[in-house]
Amino acid sequence: MPTKRTKQPTNCLHCQQPGMSRRAMLQQSALGFGNLALASLVADQSLAADKTINRRLNPLAPLQPHFTPRAKRVIFLFMKGGPSHVDTFEYKPKLQRDDGKELPFKKPRVTFADTGKLLGSPWKFKPAGEMGIPVSELFPNVAQCVDDICFLHSVHGTNSAHGGALLKLHTGSDNFVRPSMGSWVTYGLGTENQNLPGFVTICPTLAHGGVKNWGSAFLPAHYQGTPLGVASQPSTNAKVKYAKNRWTSTNVQRRQLDMLNEINREHLAQAGPELDLEARISSFELAFRMQMEMPQIEDLSSETKETFSLYGIDQKVTEDFGRQCLLARRFAEKGVRFIQVTHSDSMVQWDQHSNLQEGHTKNALEVDRPIAGLLKDLKARGLLQDTLVMWGGEFGRTPTAQGSNGRDHNPEGFTMWFAGGGVKPGFRYGATDEYGYYAEKNKMHVHDLHATLLHLLGLDHELLTYQYAGRDFRLTDVSGDVATEILA
Amino acid sequence: MVSPIERLTCCILSIAFLLSANTAHADPQGVKFFETKIRPVLATRCYKCHGQKKQESELRLDTYAAILKGGATGPAVIPGEPEEGLLMHVIKYEDEELQMPPDSRLSDQVIKDFKQWIKIGAPHPDAGKKKTTPLSPDNSQNEVQATTLWSLKSLQGTDLPKVKKTSWPSNSLDYYILARLEAAGLEPAPTADKTTLIRRLTFDLTGLPPSEAAVTEFLADNAPDAYGRLVDRLLASPAYGERWGRHWLDVARYADSNGLDENIAHGNAWRYRDYVIQAFNQDKPFDTFVHEQLAGDLMPSKVTEPENHARLTATGFLSLGPKVLAESDLQKMEMDIIDEQIDTIGRAFMGLTFGCARCHDHKFDPISTEDYYGLAGILKSTRTMETFKRIARWHENSVATPAQKKVHQQQLEAIAKLKEQVKQATTQKDKALQEKLQKQLTTLEKNLPQLPTAMGVQDQQVSNLKVHIRGSHLNLGSEVPRRVPQMFVSTVAPKFPADQSGRLQLASWLTAADHPLTSRVIVNRIWRWHFGRGIVSATDNFGHLGEAPTHPKLLDHLAIGLIKHRWSIKQLHRWIVLSSTYQMSSKFNARAAQLDPQNNWLWRFNIRRLEAESLRDALLSTSGLLDRKFGGSMLHVKNREFFFDHTSIDKTNYQTHRRSVYLPVVRNNLYEMFQLFDYNDASMLNGNRNTSTVAPQALFLMNSSFMQQATGNMARELQMIDSFQQRITSLYQRLYARNPTPAEVTRCQHYLQEFRQAPLQQIADDAKKPSQATNPEHRAWQALCHVLVISNEFIYVK
Repeated sequence: MPTKRTKQPTNCLHCQQPGMSRRAMLQQSALGFGNLALASLVADQSLAADKTINRRLNPLAPLQPHFTPRAKRVIFLFMKGGPSHVDTFEYKPKLQRDDGKELPFKKPRVTFADTGKLLGSPWKFKPAGEMGIPVSELFPNVAQCVDDICFLHSVHGTNSAHGGALLKLHTGSDNFVRPSMGSWVTYGLGTENQNLPGFVTICPTLAHGGVKNWGSAFLPAHYQGTPLGVASQPSTNAKVKYAKNRWTSTNVQRRQLDMLNEINREHLAQAGPELDLEARISSFELAFRMQMEMPQIEDLSSETKETFSLYGIDQKVTEDFGRQCLLARRFAEKGVRFIQVTHSDSMVQWDQHSNLQEGHTKNALEVDRPIAGLLKDLKARGLLQDTLVMWGGEFGRTPTAQGSNGRDHNPEGFTMWFAGGGVKPGFRYGATDEYGYYAEKNKMHVHDLHATLLHLLGLDHELLTYQYAGRDFRLTDVSGDVATEILA
Repeated sequence: MVSPIERLTCCILSIAFLLSANTAHADPQGVKFFETKIRPVLATRCYKCHGQKKQESELRLDTYAAILKGGATGPAVIPGEPEEGLLMHVIKYEDEELQMPPDSRLSDQVIKDFKQWIKIGAPHPDAGKKKTTPLSPDNSQNEVQATTLWSLKSLQGTDLPKVKKTSWPSNSLDYYILARLEAAGLEPAPTADKTTLIRRLTFDLTGLPPSEAAVTEFLADNAPDAYGRLVDRLLASPAYGERWGRHWLDVARYADSNGLDENIAHGNAWRYRDYVIQAFNQDKPFDTFVHEQLAGDLMPSKVTEPENHARLTATGFLSLGPKVLAESDLQKMEMDIIDEQIDTIGRAFMGLTFGCARCHDHKFDPISTEDYYGLAGILKSTRTMETFKRIARWHENSVATPAQKKVHQQQLEAIAKLKEQVKQATTQKDKALQEKLQKQLTTLEKNLPQLPTAMGVQDQQVSNLKVHIRGSHLNLGSEVPRRVPQMFVSTVAPKFPADQSGRLQLASWLTAADHPLTSRVIVNRIWRWHFGRGIVSATDNFGHLGEAPTHPKLLDHLAIGLIKHRWSIKQLHRWIVLSSTYQMSSKFNARAAQLDPQNNWLWRFNIRRLEAESLRDALLSTSGLLDRKFGGSMLHVKNREFFFDHTSIDKTNYQTHRRSVYLPVVRNNLYEMFQLFDYNDASMLNGNRNTSTVAPQALFLMNSSFMQQATGNMARELQMIDSFQQRITSLYQRLYARNPTPAEVTRCQHYLQEFRQAPLQQIADDAKKPSQATNPEHRAWQALCHVLVISNEFIYVK
């Protein structure tokens, strides 16, 4: 009998009696420290007090995962809109054969739009890598990296509209406000570099859930993602806000902080030992360090010409997304825990309800080289082994035609992929049916995807909980199975 | 929450066989088949949800009788008839909505085994046994909970506790606090000084700092009732409603946009916000306030028109929640909206989480699915939406006055007349006249004002709902008449009329004197907003998973008092702020800190950081920029228009110096400063905001243009004062409500000199240098103001 879960049997995972959650642990340790700290503050400053301050000031301090992790950080390459799996990474010979015929089985009860007959892919697939994995000619550069990629061909979600599907993918819920996966990850693991945010999202889209897709919902606000730029603007504008004073020179600001420190210390001495006041004093010093470090990462001028070329920054069509990918690597190098990169123009970019060929060609061209560049660069720097790269959109597209030359949204089955971070390289997991409509083999629901992602980071998705409104919440709600087959 | 199918839990947990192996029945071969092929599957894949501990859909599969009896939707197995009975149907995954086990389909071989087992008559060791195990879900657990959950017991009045230090209490509530402290061997902190008191009280009641004049006047007033008069003055100030109305808006998950998937403008939500502010300023009795928000449209209408409009506007409470407006499954959307309303009503007024019961009986609180659908019927009979079609539209009630309607009608007639004239001119081929008239028509049409409407609800066809098994609208159980939850044994359940939704009866029931929760929940929230921590610390959860009250008798004393004083919230404020408990200083006490580090027993007043809104208002106020205009819409987009659509163009605009309560609350894109300083999420009810201290807050305070503007203006105002000494005094008065010490004056002088002399280093190339930036004197004063205004003494209230 399966013994994987060794916890107490409970009635309903939705409503588990709260156990020892991450938060409870934190609270308890904070309380423990707090007692110590208060005692010691009365006498003198001590190390224990400093620790408490640090914990309060910086709830993002690194935490031990539940078990040995395979990946330390995540880079999520998000293709906004819904890339068509049957035109990119999942080859369906029968779809090609039966182009123009009826789908021989029922379409889902609820669909976003009406579709007609089967539409064969306008692209050829070629075997790539040692295993000869078929990849569409849309992605010639990524095809060179397939030996590092683990394809997930059986992902499926629940919502056929962009808004719901985006929220589902990012937060696990398409109808209620829940923390985003990046927030859960930073809540669970903290982050390695205290001078930087733990979770950044580069050029995110403001539509379809917008901030909720990197929001912390009921988790404390410091776990929310820090946005750099927005999708509709060039990535040269992708900068963290308030990290620079545009009016005051650094030396004056330094003296201001010295004065601030003096008066705050004096105030603290009068108020008596007060951890909140102490923490706030430290927060200004940390802020000063952050504003020194952030611009250094945002500034790409130290990168070589070769690197620029690798990411396609030297070419107009790939320059914008290339810069985003390079920024992602720089954040990864500096110990940021969760980095999301969004590919979208000012419209819903990967959303070819019509003119599939034209649209997907343009989209793929913009990302193919930068993505391959990122994978190669991470590998060359030894970062790929503990960085989990994830690629995908909020759903796939129907194998049946919308109008004459488009495809509708399809949350029933689509492809995402992982690379690096402890997944089997050059591996294909799961499959949709022979036409690519429904996930069929080794089905991987979005909850399963989340469970697997957390597992790779050393987190048990059932233990990573937060109590809110009377029950323990998880990223995976009451579902989620780890796809153990893909673990390297 | 998730779609119904996902709610089903998987069942790979191993559970020991619960039945002892009885002597084999007639067919030992068949029983062996059952024991080897069928029972292991039932045990590993089914028992978890359909076993001894839990019976989803009233089905259990761990006894023979139960298998035959089946669950809410009929027998699971009919021996000998493999094509009948629900079990085979669901395990074959034939039905899109009902597939068992939910996590993954059983293998074809196992399904064949089941078919075979049923075909041969479903042999089972218990077959033929007379005694059957009870099958229905065990409700006795709920009954036990209803009587043990403290918050469901009737309010209990008590005699004032005996205390030793009889000179300390100022009013009755102090006895409860002091008695608890004395029992722990602790003493209350001494009374706070007047400077501290006026700053604390003014921020607390109005969300603003006291003016220099107010401080001077209060310090000079030595009459014994000086503090009491200050309290009255502040409670009478319109700023009071702006502050306390905002607290309620946290509970009402107020927002000016829908959020979620389609972030379109709640263009008329501001009317609800202004209604709330007015209600607090007018000290509207809380029971009336509850009635208006739940059933303003149904209240007997012997009121003036403005009052009637206020009632209609108040029902916006039910409509303000985030909705998935592009949901493709329209029935699901309707039930999701009802679910959000039930969750909000439950938590806002009763501090109970009803949401769980959409799919199954609540596991910790005595709330059943029947209770849930009894309430849901009330909301099903209520019209919240105009249409569910993509993009769905919420309903709005007209709040136009007869005069407005008349003018509107006249304009419509004028337009119609002009149109006729244009037509005539066209037929007469008088081009000049046609153009002239057309121009007039266009102007008139363009300027035709929209008649005012307010988000809100009205009744629609009254209907009861059937239980949605596992929350799915595709799988219905028995119908539940509209009713209130059954656990409230101490209340008189209302009768719901056949011709009305029942919201009015629901409101009356909630605010009846015998209701154990409504009064407790609101007095606890008011206490929380005054002290930073509730008597029940989880203000929105009075269920088993919440926390017990630290002072249960005090809670009931306050609740009874509130009802006695006709639900007057201002009376409750007076009671609280005039107490000795409230007037304690925040002086640290090492021994007390050791015994009670969280200050649960209130041995001192908690030092508290200003909330996001107060911080912004205080910065604007002390820098002389605050615009005190009252009410109205601040949106720059039209009703139902996107704040940002798929083009990612952001139409949010926070450029204003109005009080924070009037800033648009745009879900998914809250004002950044508010997000940084722990503002409410605005999609979710929250009566107990977090307070965090993190570096990005410091970055905002150091580097934002908002701070640059505020400190610039503060410096300009100071520079109008002649003497240096007076400038510094004025600055300290404004910011800290006290005079500077000589040492502080010297320090200011010293740093001013440094700031003046600091070489102008490279400032960012993109700096938009305001003209003052070139003036070193102004720059130095601004730098000084900036330091003092981001200091702890300013940001914290003691």
